[in-house]
Amino acid sequence: MAIALDRKRKRSRNPIVAEDRIAGLVFVLPAMLVFGVFVFGAIIFAFYVSFHDWKLTDRGGIWALFTDPGKTWVGFDNYRHIFGNPDFWTAFRNTSWYALGVVPAQTLTGLTLAVLANQKIKGRTFFRTAFYFPSISSSVVIAIIFLWMYSARGPINFVIQKLGFPTPRPVWLSNPNGVLEMGLNGIGIDNVPNWLAGPSLALLSIMMLNVWTTTGTMMVIFLAGLQNIPGDVYEAAVLDGASRFRQFRDITVPLLRPVTAFVITIGLIGTFQVFDQIWVMSEGNNGGPFRTTTTLAFLVYLEGFRQGRGLGYASALAVVLFAIILVLYFIQRWITSDKRHG
Amino acid sequence: MKKSIGEQRISNRARVLAFPAAAALLTGQSLLGRSVSAQENATVRLTGWTSSPAEQTLFEQVLEDFKTANPTIDLKYEPITGDYPTKLQTDMAAGTVADVFYVDSILAPDLMASGQLLALDDLMARDSVNAADFYPGLISSFQLDGATYGLPKDFSTLAMVWDKAAFEAAGIANAPTNWDELKAAGQALLDSTGAPGIVIPSDIARELAFHYAAGGSVFNEDGSAIVFDSPEGAAALDFYYGLYRDGLAATPADAGAQWPGDALAKGLAALVFEGNWVFPFLQENAPDLDFGIAELPAGPAKKMTLAFTVSFSVFSGTKVPEAAWTLVNYLTGPEGMGKWASLGLAMPSRTGLADAWIAEFPERQPFLAGGEYAAGWQLGVGGNAFVNDANAELQGLFAGQQDVATTLQKIQKAAETRIELSPSVETASPVASPTS
Repeated sequence: MAIALDRKRKRSRNPIVAEDRIAGLVFVLPAMLVFGVFVFGAIIFAFYVSFHDWKLTDRGGIWALFTDPGKTWVGFDNYRHIFGNPDFWTAFRNTSWYALGVVPAQTLTGLTLAVLANQKIKGRTFFRTAFYFPSISSSVVIAIIFLWMYSARGPINFVIQKLGFPTPRPVWLSNPNGVLEMGLNGIGIDNVPNWLAGPSLALLSIMMLNVWTTTGTMMVIFLAGLQNIPGDVYEAAVLDGASRFRQFRDITVPLLRPVTAFVITIGLIGTFQVFDQIWVMSEGNNGGPFRTTTTLAFLVYLEGFRQGRGLGYASALAVVLFAIILVLYFIQRWITSDKRHG
Repeated sequence: MKKSIGEQRISNRARVLAFPAAAALLTGQSLLGRSVSAQENATVRLTGWTSSPAEQTLFEQVLEDFKTANPTIDLKYEPITGDYPTKLQTDMAAGTVADVFYVDSILAPDLMASGQLLALDDLMARDSVNAADFYPGLISSFQLDGATYGLPKDFSTLAMVWDKAAFEAAGIANAPTNWDELKAAGQALLDSTGAPGIVIPSDIARELAFHYAAGGSVFNEDGSAIVFDSPEGAAALDFYYGLYRDGLAATPADAGAQWPGDALAKGLAALVFEGNWVFPFLQENAPDLDFGIAELPAGPAKKMTLAFTVSFSVFSGTKVPEAAWTLVNYLTGPEGMGKWASLGLAMPSRTGLADAWIAEFPERQPFLAGGEYAAGWQLGVGGNAFVNDANAELQGLFAGQQDVATTLQKIQKAAETRIELSPSVETASPVASPTS
């Protein structure tokens, strides 16, 4: 605190620094304005709307919320209705399966690819570029390509048929049957409870697409982390006779902990917010076969824009989604924090 | 690929356009207390969806005629490609929506009830536009409490469309006229090729025709209760789903198509239940296909089909109501509608134009005949949200997640949750009265 005050005094005494600060503020002002209006403004507005019973088509439009807020004010009603709504729990379950499948898969493959791409092998640059490529492509374009690959007469079914396996019916993206349920049925266990049915085949198809597109990003983050590990640590380990696997387990993984924490965090946030792939791949169905690809973010869209309960309710859902992500972030930070591990 | 997803959605909702043209140049007369002088060189914005570039080109031709006839109106046509209802609603909330726009019949109750649409009755009366000139079942889709909030631009009905070669190969002499014959035809098609010949989607916009044909309804007589879950409804759903369960029918996705018409064009289906929008699609995608058309097979209770219509409506907050009405009146007038309908995309919604249309397209008579007993595709305020829920339940049924009885109960519950009951809701009213 003393240092900060000291610094402040120094700054105000120095006219050149003061001038720089003004110039700096002027330079960031346009970006701040845009950010403030379209990010913070929108977030605050969403909170405000969540306390209203308001639909986009209501007379007077958006301005009525400000000119006559008492008419639409419903307090916490929207929030109360959320938790009694089976659609919310369906979406919550779908999103949980989604995160549970996608986050570990993309973290592990991302780490594996990063370790491989960090070796001194031929064509290293090519592999790095190839793995990263899906991340920089339009998610909508990729989703449309996958839509075609998963179709009944698409390449995936073609290969499966050629190998002599039966293709799923209903076809991949139209199949609401839970994959765990199908597996358990396969080994003779029937009457699988709903919560154990697992993601539907349709959701699993989208999960695989998501892993494929985001793994590259995770790989790049891991690569940066790997290159920050000093080489002499490995040298010392080699002198001590540590095997490649021991080096990976006892040097690479622990030293990458902060990077892993970051990857898991953005993975969790990303999966809980997933919308674009869902929208493209289940738009005709409005939420997937039997609602099995309706994620929380997609439910916000359905309720807000598809003549559901309106934007007030949808905004309340968005706030709940925000709270869920926040809680998950703190849990995850606590688990991966250094303090907990001493 | 993206385009074809859009097409599927469009076809499901019967988004086939028809545009009329007839000039009635209005001289400035104050309406709703708004300034007159502003209307003389008024800018009118028009929006809608478009299902194909070819269709947009045709529509723009009709609009060119309008511009020539109305030089004082600066028409700006701004079609929305993509998520039309979402864009329309956000524009409404912001107050920047176009002056004239399409309204799908399934969405009309929500928009009429919310006050977003301008009542056209005064303008219609002034220009002697008679509501009775339109099919009653169509224009009533855009009427609420005695006011008219849009004029239907055209309509489409569901009929049975089949591949003649496939029927011949299966030894089916005549098109099925009832459910038993339909089942027999499905069996014959299955036997002849080893694959399901019928393609049906798990979509309430098709199943509902069977529901009505079995004697089921959505609302009770006075519209005070939902009665979807009934023995008749169970019979209809059991028949519709039974076609799929027994292997006589496939879904478009399982067949490898975007929608049933697509399956027919690709030779993956021999028999589908679709609307007159299949014509331009088949002409473009399967020009050599020899197909037959007949009315939907009669159910145990009656002959029934669904009619889909779309209106031109005026935004209640428009600054140029006169010019907007001029455009609507032009596009739904007898001359223009005749011109648009003669392009062959959909049927004219004016009864007086039916004879000319049928003379031009005699082979499409079953579609027009269906209009005489069809039920309009409209389920009251909240109907569109209900449709989403009902489709989800049908998908659960088709995938074997639940049985017919449970599905019916859940659809009933979805209707009770989503649809705002009001005694004025019409139940399965005939769309068209016989004219030809």
